[in-house]
Amino acid sequence: MPFLKKITYIRFSFLLVFCNVFFVSGQIATREYQVKAAFVFNFTQFVEWPTQSFANPETRAVIGILGKDPFGTYLDETITGESLNKHSLTIQHFKDADEITNCQILFINLSDKNELKAILEKLKGKNILTVSDANGFTKLGGMVRLYIKDDKINIQINLDAVKEENLVISSKLLKLAEIVKTDKK
Amino acid sequence: MANKNISIRNKLMRIIMLVCGIVVLITCAVFFLYDFYSFRESTLQNISTYGQIISNNSTAAIAFESKEDAKEILSALKAEPHIVAASIYDANGQLFCAYPADYDINQLPKTAGAIGYHFTRTALEGFQPIVQGSKQLGILYLKSDLNALYGRFKLYTIIVVLILGLSFVITFLLSKFLQRGISAPILALAETAKAISEQKDYSVRAIKLSDDEVGSLTDAFNQMLTEIHEQTEMLNEFNQTLEQRVKNRTTELEVANKELESFSYSVSHDLRAPARAIHSYANVFLEDYGDKIDEEGKRLINIVLKNGQKMGFLIDDLLSFSRLGRIELTKTKLSMYDIVSGVWNELYKTEENRNVTLVLKELPDAYAEKTTMQQVWVNLISNALKYTKNNPETVIEISAEEKNTEIIYCIKDNGSGFDMRYYNKLFGVFQRLHSQEEFEGTGVGLAIVQRVLEKHGGKIWADSKVNEGATFYFSLPIN
Repeated sequence: MPFLKKITYIRFSFLLVFCNVFFVSGQIATREYQVKAAFVFNFTQFVEWPTQSFANPETRAVIGILGKDPFGTYLDETITGESLNKHSLTIQHFKDADEITNCQILFINLSDKNELKAILEKLKGKNILTVSDANGFTKLGGMVRLYIKDDKINIQINLDAVKEENLVISSKLLKLAEIVKTDKK
Repeated sequence: MANKNISIRNKLMRIIMLVCGIVVLITCAVFFLYDFYSFRESTLQNISTYGQIISNNSTAAIAFESKEDAKEILSALKAEPHIVAASIYDANGQLFCAYPADYDINQLPKTAGAIGYHFTRTALEGFQPIVQGSKQLGILYLKSDLNALYGRFKLYTIIVVLILGLSFVITFLLSKFLQRGISAPILALAETAKAISEQKDYSVRAIKLSDDEVGSLTDAFNQMLTEIHEQTEMLNEFNQTLEQRVKNRTTELEVANKELESFSYSVSHDLRAPARAIHSYANVFLEDYGDKIDEEGKRLINIVLKNGQKMGFLIDDLLSFSRLGRIELTKTKLSMYDIVSGVWNELYKTEENRNVTLVLKELPDAYAEKTTMQQVWVNLISNALKYTKNNPETVIEISAEEKNTEIIYCIKDNGSGFDMRYYNKLFGVFQRLHSQEEFEGTGVGLAIVQRVLEKHGGKIWADSKVNEGATFYFSLPIN
């Protein structure tokens, strides 16, 4: 029996080494989205939604993803067992902005500005915190943009857009963020 | 007196100061402990309040991984100089940010520890959760030095020492003043008592200074003095009357004694002539008319003759006994050895046919009157010879020993002795322990000896057992 155990152990450590080598190439991108997943989740803790945002107290809080899901399993892992103001959290993938009804945070993984503008237009009045890492997202009327600067993920917030949707962002979060306004062109 | 003074005052002052000192010390200790604990509590409260504020403010910084922001928040701790170190750990317990910036990270806990603050010997430190809503985002570590606490310690120690010192000074002054209330009346009383015992003036009275226990003591003391005064006077009076009575009685007794002595002297003196007459006329009668009377007449006249002679002896002894009361002693230094040898030779002449051994030891000289001392030895030695006359072998031992201030002479025989039950009759006049038929004598000899020795300031006593001989001792003072 001890012999068998030893073999199992050797095999297992071999596997670990192999895995490390295997994942090294995708590590940077992965780390970025791991942090972004955490940020997205953390918005649930620093943003207040109006009560009408939830149909009833049992309604689940939804983190929606529009476009390709960049998080892999990270977001799932992050929100497991967590809740937003007693509404347990869940993830929903959306293909089109029209199908979004009950959603609190929407991560938009799209980069086309016209497309983004159209989507943001459709989301108005739904009290959804819109998050994206697309360039110029906040200037288009998006609420939160995550961007990398100095090897660090920074936050940009369009406070006007947030207020328009009756969302309240904690001053502690605002303190960390760069506040921008919608371009009026 | 001065010593007593100091001691009672000292005692009072010591008691007062001791009590005050203990009270102050206990009070200070209680206050100190109370303050120490409340200050500890408030320090704890303080640090957890700071921790609460810091952790509230730093939630976003941790959530969104902003170390700069976290550092900035921690740097607000500058306002509290006693917080010497702080650090934030992320949700995984890894060090996220430390304060102050130049703090040696190695001295901080590597990872987050159990929640809660605790006191170490030099610091107060602990962990506090950083929570946003219901989500724990990280852990805050705070370390506060205990300088404030130790500073407080020092301040308190100084205050306690000052209070103790001050209260001692005040107590000393107050007690010095207050103890007089107690000690002054006692001291006054003692002073009075001393004066009275020194001057024996019982008419002095102590002055009552207060109405307390000392006051009633003073009253009792004064009352006692009155009683002593009265009793002393009574005693004096009684003494005087007693002295007077003794004097009177002595005079009376002396007179009576003199009368008795002169009576017995004159009686014996007056009796001597008729007794002689009886004896000599009976003698003459027997000589002149002996052949003219029958045997019965001879026997009767012989009885008259014998009794007349005996009466003569009795009267002679009585005369010499009563004469002793009158004579004045002229003491000289006497060689007792010579006297005893002389007396022995004289008395032994009539006993030459007996088997008698005399053991005569060395005898110290005596300071006494010669004639009477001779009489003493004559009586004692003749007694010794008399009461050993039935012995086939007679041993008489005469010795002496000096003891303290007196010389004790001793004469011991191996004769018939006497019964100690009748010892009290031994030295009485006309008292005899043996019958006339057994041993002849008048019963005056030992009475004379006792009288002589008493006149010399000496004593006589004896020791004996029937048929085992008798020992007579007499003492004479040296000088």
